[in-house]
Amino acid sequence: MSARADILSTIRMRRTGSKPQPSRYKAPPIAGDQVERFAERATIEAAEVRILGSLGEVPDAVADILRARNMAASVHLPPDARIGALPWGTAIALEHTAPGPNDAAVALAPFAIAETGTLVYTSAPDTPASWHFRPGLEIAIVAAGNILPHLEDVLARVGKPLPSTINLVTGPSRTGDIEQTLELGAHGPKALVILVVKN
Amino acid sequence: MSVRPRVGLFVTCLVDLVRPQIGFAAVKLLVDAGCEVSVPASQTCCGQPAWNAGKDADAAAIARQVIDAFEGFDYVVVPSGSCGGMLRRHYPECLKNDPTYAARARAMAAKTFELMSFLVRVRGVTKVDAKFDGRVAYHDSCSSLREMGVRAEPRQLLASVAGLTITELGEPEICCGFGGLFSVKYPEISEQMADGKIADTLSTGADVLTGPDFGCLLHLAGRMKRQGIAVKVRHAAEILAGTSDGPALGEGTG
Amino acid sequence: MNLDPRNFPQNVHTALGDTRLKSALARLKTHFSVSRKKSIARFGDFETLRETGRAIRDHAIEHLDTLLETFEKNVTARCGHVHWARTPAEACEIILTILREAGAKTVTKGKTMVSEEIDLNTYLEEAGIAPVETDLGEYIIQLRGEPPSHIIAPAFHLHKDQVAETFRKAHTTLDPDRALTERSALVGEARTMLRARFAAADAGITGANFLSAADGAAVIVTNEGNGDLTRLLPKTHIVLTGIEKVVANMDEVAVLLRLLTRSATGQDITSYVSVMTGPRAADETDGPQNFHVVLVDHGRSDLIGTEAQDILRCIRCSACMNHCPIYMAVGGHAYGATYPGPLGAALNPGLIGMALAHHHPNASTFCGRCEEVCPVKIPLPKIMRHWRAQEYAKGLAPKMPVFALALWAFAAKRPTLYKFGARIGARVLKFMAGRRGAVRALPLKNGWFAVRDFPAPQGQTFQEMWRRR
Repeated sequence: MSARADILSTIRMRRTGSKPQPSRYKAPPIAGDQVERFAERATIEAAEVRILGSLGEVPDAVADILRARNMAASVHLPPDARIGALPWGTAIALEHTAPGPNDAAVALAPFAIAETGTLVYTSAPDTPASWHFRPGLEIAIVAAGNILPHLEDVLARVGKPLPSTINLVTGPSRTGDIEQTLELGAHGPKALVILVVKN
Repeated sequence: MSVRPRVGLFVTCLVDLVRPQIGFAAVKLLVDAGCEVSVPASQTCCGQPAWNAGKDADAAAIARQVIDAFEGFDYVVVPSGSCGGMLRRHYPECLKNDPTYAARARAMAAKTFELMSFLVRVRGVTKVDAKFDGRVAYHDSCSSLREMGVRAEPRQLLASVAGLTITELGEPEICCGFGGLFSVKYPEISEQMADGKIADTLSTGADVLTGPDFGCLLHLAGRMKRQGIAVKVRHAAEILAGTSDGPALGEGTG
Repeated sequence: MNLDPRNFPQNVHTALGDTRLKSALARLKTHFSVSRKKSIARFGDFETLRETGRAIRDHAIEHLDTLLETFEKNVTARCGHVHWARTPAEACEIILTILREAGAKTVTKGKTMVSEEIDLNTYLEEAGIAPVETDLGEYIIQLRGEPPSHIIAPAFHLHKDQVAETFRKAHTTLDPDRALTERSALVGEARTMLRARFAAADAGITGANFLSAADGAAVIVTNEGNGDLTRLLPKTHIVLTGIEKVVANMDEVAVLLRLLTRSATGQDITSYVSVMTGPRAADETDGPQNFHVVLVDHGRSDLIGTEAQDILRCIRCSACMNHCPIYMAVGGHAYGATYPGPLGAALNPGLIGMALAHHHPNASTFCGRCEEVCPVKIPLPKIMRHWRAQEYAKGLAPKMPVFALALWAFAAKRPTLYKFGARIGARVLKFMAGRRGAVRALPLKNGWFAVRDFPAPQGQTFQEMWRRR
């Protein structure tokens, strides 16, 4: 008998009663403003959050972020045309290659989760999944209107079939593996800045 | 005229063998709370050592015996959360496939209580008349806490004892390392866990350690005696009944 | 330490004398239990979440066959491959075949306890393939040749000077005079060294925290991001998982995710949660081209329909061991098996048998804290007792305690005999205790007296005093 047949037949043979269908879970509602809750949670998870009025403000914000962190005025942009179309000007050098472990990179998150301060990325030809794990600093853009209360809400919007990768990103990479003490930048980015765009 | 509830006292094998005072203290507390107390003669052990060791047939035989002995009482009261838990939680489990005793086990379980929670929850006792001068640390005992849900009631009653100060342990809910046969099967771990509880007790400045379960107290008193630590150990029933003027557990005369 | 589970008592002895381990355990205990408590308090109605989680997992176990078939169908529909393994040997062979077909020479690994269970690294090394652990804790212990001592904090037992020493020995291309006193320096060094390994790997192996049957998706949670670099960069991705990890759909995963992270590290969510469905799409440039899932049974299906079934609910959060006074006294290595603490006590006998694992369910006081903190309400002490009953029924229990208990039970079933014996016992022990008030030793070697005295009985039994009133 094949392993598959063996395992399945053991399960079928051994199964006893019938446990009831679990009732659908309703996550506790988010009190107050979604964006505020999102910003609050993301900040607690060591992300920096800035609220912008429009997409046009992104390049200046990026320049300011790099200056504040004493980083070179250079960012990596993914193939996503919407990011390329922002009014970058000449103040920042734009790279189109994959970012290295000390570089800054920009990304556009289609959704975010207010409950946990989480960004949601879905893989696509113009948004390679590994992008979010490579740089030293990730600067993520998310529209305020795409911040939804819970993961379940985001999944409903992402719809079926699922993309090959969905990445939920909350704060920078971290580890507590040495002496139970938190250190940032284990393998993914050491820092995460989130630009919430209101319009 | 109200009818006094008929309580069958399950005295527990350790109390019976080592420290009858606890049994008499329990009787006094129950009588003071308006109960008519009987002690069925054929009780021996609740069967927990057999049950925990996986000797199900022996545990079931003992359980049937206990159920027979305690037939007809309004309540079964136990000065122990461990034996109480055996009767209340595990007898129905142990006898679930027994055609006659399954229902009887459930019926008895429904009327089985640990002593102090019985006094407070069922008899409405809010305070006792006893006096006890001392700083007393209370160890929750895992079965009392997690199987019988006893936490607030002993503290409430102890707080009403004149002269008594409760000093809360840093970790009242952590296991003391007795665990019945565990204490002899894995003595090194048992020792370490006892020492943790003892260090906690000493750090609160308590001069007395108490609790609802005699097994834990025997183990902790024995460990402290071995190390020459002078904290006195008494069962909470003795303190509440005001019968704690004799020697504490393991306290010698010479 | 001898990592045979039968060596538990000797391992315990070593562990109890290890002061560095003791301080590491104290740190682990405070850190995880305090964080968990805070995060649950913040959440609000955690009990409803727990009850829902329990129901989801119970339902999944009841329908494990259809869920696994649905999962397989949906993975295949997305051009992935599902493999079934009854035993560790079958699982290792399947993985080696996949890696050979992929021409893989180096393999990066995200954290997977099933990999420990089947001893995959040893098997691959012997076949000439180099596995590289990328979770920082796993990387450190791989360099040291040690097994993990905790299921989510594998290197908790080490102090930073030990990690520094390990890095100095292993990272020989770096400047030997470099400073490695700060944790951040150690993390930074691992980040640099492993980045190159991620890029060079021919294949990546991860575990799965959950499988969604409806989507044919696997979900992993990490804080480091190593799982994602492991599976996205190489051409081949293998998900190695137990069969019990599957649930119906992603909404159920969302519930369990909330329970997992809070119960484990006290986080509302980990830094990264990744939902992986099949290989990359045709027009994507990132992600594996080959996606394989290896489903491992290794005794799990045989637990269904037994009193140990509920351990299959486990979502591997580690709350049980973080609150277990025995685990917190001896640490993970003492257990000598993949799963330590209450999880191991309930599961190991099913995976490797009671002959090997008998100490695990026996070394428990049944204090019940594990069940209290389990996010899916597994009745862990009940399952441990079940294994003890099995051990006794199969005649495997140690002879002396069985005999002593048999004597006790014999007497307990005969009240007159019992009470007679108790009267004698009370007098004899009182006599032996003398004025000291406690017995120091009994003629037979006994674990009680190794570390304790026995307080003197009053001298008469309660029953005899009561009858005389």
